[in-house]
Amino acid sequence: MLYREAGQFKASYKEDQQIFPIKQDRVVILSLLAAMYLVVPFVADQYLLQAILLPALIFSLAAIGLNILTGYAGQLSLGSAGFMAVGAFAAYNFMLRIDGMPVLLAFVLGGLCAALVGIVFGLPSLRIKGFYLAVATLAAQFFIIWILTKVPWFTNNSSSGVISAQKVEILGYAFVSPESKYLLTLAIVTVLALAAKNMARSAVGRSWMAVRDMDVAASVIGIPLMRTKLTAFAISSFYCGVAGALYAFVYLGTVEPEGFSLDMSFRILFMIIIGGVGSILGSFLGAAFIVLMPIFLSLSMHAIFGGAVSAGLTSNLEVLIFGSLIIFFLIVEPHGLARLWQIAKEKLRLWPFPH
Amino acid sequence: MSNGRIIGDVILDLQNISLRFGGVNALTDVSFDVREHEIRAIIGPNGAGKSSMLNVINGVYHPQEGAIVYRGKKRHDMDTHEAAKAGFARTFQNIALFKGMSVLDNLMTGRNLKMKSNFLLQALRWGPAQREELEHREKVEEVIDFLEIEHIRKTPVGRLPYGLQKRVELGRALAMEPSLLLLDEPMAGMNVEEKQDMCRFVLDVNDQFGMTIVLIEHDMGVVMDISDRVVVLDYGKKIADGTPDEVRSDPDVIAAYLGTQH
Amino acid sequence: MNFFFEVLIGGLLSGIMYSLVALGFVLIYKASGVFNFAQGAMVFFAALTFVGLMELGIPFWFAMVLTLAVMVLLGVVTERVVLRPLVNQPQITLFMATIGLTFFIEGLAQAMWGANVRGLELGIVDEPMPWVLDNWNMVISRFDLFAAAVSGILVAVLAVFFNKTRTGRALRAVADDHQAALSIGIPLQNIWRIVWAVAGFVALVAGLMWGARNGVQFALTFVALKALPVLIIGGFESVAGAIVGGLIIGAAEKLGEVYIGPFVGGGIEGWFAYIVALLFLLVRPEGLFGEKHIDRV
Repeated sequence: MLYREAGQFKASYKEDQQIFPIKQDRVVILSLLAAMYLVVPFVADQYLLQAILLPALIFSLAAIGLNILTGYAGQLSLGSAGFMAVGAFAAYNFMLRIDGMPVLLAFVLGGLCAALVGIVFGLPSLRIKGFYLAVATLAAQFFIIWILTKVPWFTNNSSSGVISAQKVEILGYAFVSPESKYLLTLAIVTVLALAAKNMARSAVGRSWMAVRDMDVAASVIGIPLMRTKLTAFAISSFYCGVAGALYAFVYLGTVEPEGFSLDMSFRILFMIIIGGVGSILGSFLGAAFIVLMPIFLSLSMHAIFGGAVSAGLTSNLEVLIFGSLIIFFLIVEPHGLARLWQIAKEKLRLWPFPH
Repeated sequence: MSNGRIIGDVILDLQNISLRFGGVNALTDVSFDVREHEIRAIIGPNGAGKSSMLNVINGVYHPQEGAIVYRGKKRHDMDTHEAAKAGFARTFQNIALFKGMSVLDNLMTGRNLKMKSNFLLQALRWGPAQREELEHREKVEEVIDFLEIEHIRKTPVGRLPYGLQKRVELGRALAMEPSLLLLDEPMAGMNVEEKQDMCRFVLDVNDQFGMTIVLIEHDMGVVMDISDRVVVLDYGKKIADGTPDEVRSDPDVIAAYLGTQH
Repeated sequence: MNFFFEVLIGGLLSGIMYSLVALGFVLIYKASGVFNFAQGAMVFFAALTFVGLMELGIPFWFAMVLTLAVMVLLGVVTERVVLRPLVNQPQITLFMATIGLTFFIEGLAQAMWGANVRGLELGIVDEPMPWVLDNWNMVISRFDLFAAAVSGILVAVLAVFFNKTRTGRALRAVADDHQAALSIGIPLQNIWRIVWAVAGFVALVAGLMWGARNGVQFALTFVALKALPVLIIGGFESVAGAIVGGLIIGAAEKLGEVYIGPFVGGGIEGWFAYIVALLFLLVRPEGLFGEKHIDRV
């Protein structure tokens, strides 16, 4: 009842094509954004900002990247963390070796480097599909980490392989406090998420989905398969690259190549599966879920077992439960949280009436 | 059934097309032509090679021998992208719609070749990209109007009944504004009413837009009623070629089919 | 020249070890169309359970039987809890589920038996065969030969099973089309239980071999990642392909390590196999023995 669309007419195609055509949706989103920008920085404590919101936002960005490639374009990729690494280390090197390089530009350049690498490792997608392609992206993941470790130039000859990202300073203002870091990340993520949503509902997004659903039919319509796939790889890797740069500069501060391991690639993949494949909203929901879950699990473990159980055992139990939750989710709602959200909205249309 | 339409010159000429898959001869030395503005039917028993023929015209299959002459330009085989650019549009026997998208989006993919803005502009959804999207939306709405599918335009295609899906597929082909329309059994699996609707659409498309149509169909009544000329294939070879009446009384055709006149 | 052969043969033999793991994948994929990412975790779990039982004082052969029972149980439970609810879902969903399963098994294994590294003694020592050393001046490990022999026998048995028995035929039918197989009365659930149990057995053998060679530790789960290039080359559905693929990858990897490695600073084992597999794929997208995927329009 609250969510009725009755009375909302669209008088032009332009109106019909808005991102949130239903007024209630618009209200919710705008309030949410207002809250995130204006309320949260003042109300949230440091832990919430640094340890939860920041990584959730950064991984949402990476999840959007993976969603573009795997969700919209249907090219399964297990190498997202590798592309994040490229973004992080590229941005670091640009800042290091070019005097006066603005930080935001370094992020963009990092993303572009990741995009180039993405195109190279995306070339096999022209011949191979499905799991075979996934294995090719694994090659990308392993190779990228190896080369970042092996070639000392990337880590500025650091003996341990660890780099310290430079301070983030824009126009003289140093982003040091958690609130400022949070707002900066939020701004970048909002802009890029909007761009992604726009692409998804434009010709480029449709051509990705066409290639995903039936590539023979797509080529018969005249959609250029090669260009479409490589564009997906490029844009997806760009997003992962920027996320990686944010991860290094704004979140952790120090990173090493092994930090962007296969494990992280899997986590990002889980984010889009649980959040909902092919959905921008799903990327956010999935990222939030995966970031929050270990925290939630370890808190529960503590609450249930207190200090009685060793740390090793709890961490193994967490892994065990994590795996079970993944399976559980896939059984219960294979289309992810975004779909659950949609179902909730459908129910809201009728609430409080049952049907 | 001419309806006062003027049938033009030959625009598509298929010469000695032979297509083999391993040991199977899908098509053997098949030649026929298609004139502008006509409705050309390809008929034949199951497995005769009709879909393969369309696939060759369209560039999905590459024949081992033969040539395709389109508007004077001779080629050994077609490439799907070239075919689309040349104005060939196609529907498939087993519905090749994009199941993950709505009706509207499926039709919009048909406009893809004509859309010029790059992804960056689309990401910003600004200026030229916005205008282009609206422009093409209007064109697509014309097709939606023509096919009377306004009520389902936002429905995901996978949820539609079979008959409507076939209509949407026709819509996607029409959205490409083709000069040659290749229809593979557009009426298969439909009831009488749906068939009548589809026939009407095919005829209207030919009338109003002057589109040349090559059509594979099993329903003899439909074929005899709406086509200008008919090609008959059997086991990959051409066994007859002419007007519906000529073909109907051809003894080879009768032998191949045992003449179904329902 | 002898050195080259030594490296080559060493590579071939280690390749057979990869094949062992790849076999588990092939079995499950062949019979249920599921790409079981958890195979590596199963290898680890089997090896860990075996040494865990031995540590508890249980004699060698009995421990092996018991471990086999545990693996079979794991297979049955997996079928019931993971596969059955996901029966008609797209392949990618099932693949994701097996990644979840991987985490589950890894957590379970270490929760049950702890995370210490253990050695596994099979009684065969990793020593050069003396008469080979004497006659040809090559170092060929006795253990590697033993592993190769075991793998060979296992493959032969499985090949016979798949091609000559009724159950094997049923398995192949199921892999092709679940619905069709169901409709002609093939008991899908039984079949899957059998397959996962057999895969568990293969995992056990692989676990014993690898555990004896490298010690039983968490890194064992990563052998699954080594098996993937093997599957790419050999195709996901071919037992013979798993062997040939393993040989190729093993040889290529060892040769690459020895002859190319020094030029690029070493440590290329992590990805060299993948690049080799990728190059193969570009020439033959379905692998050497894989089935060509035909889209009918």
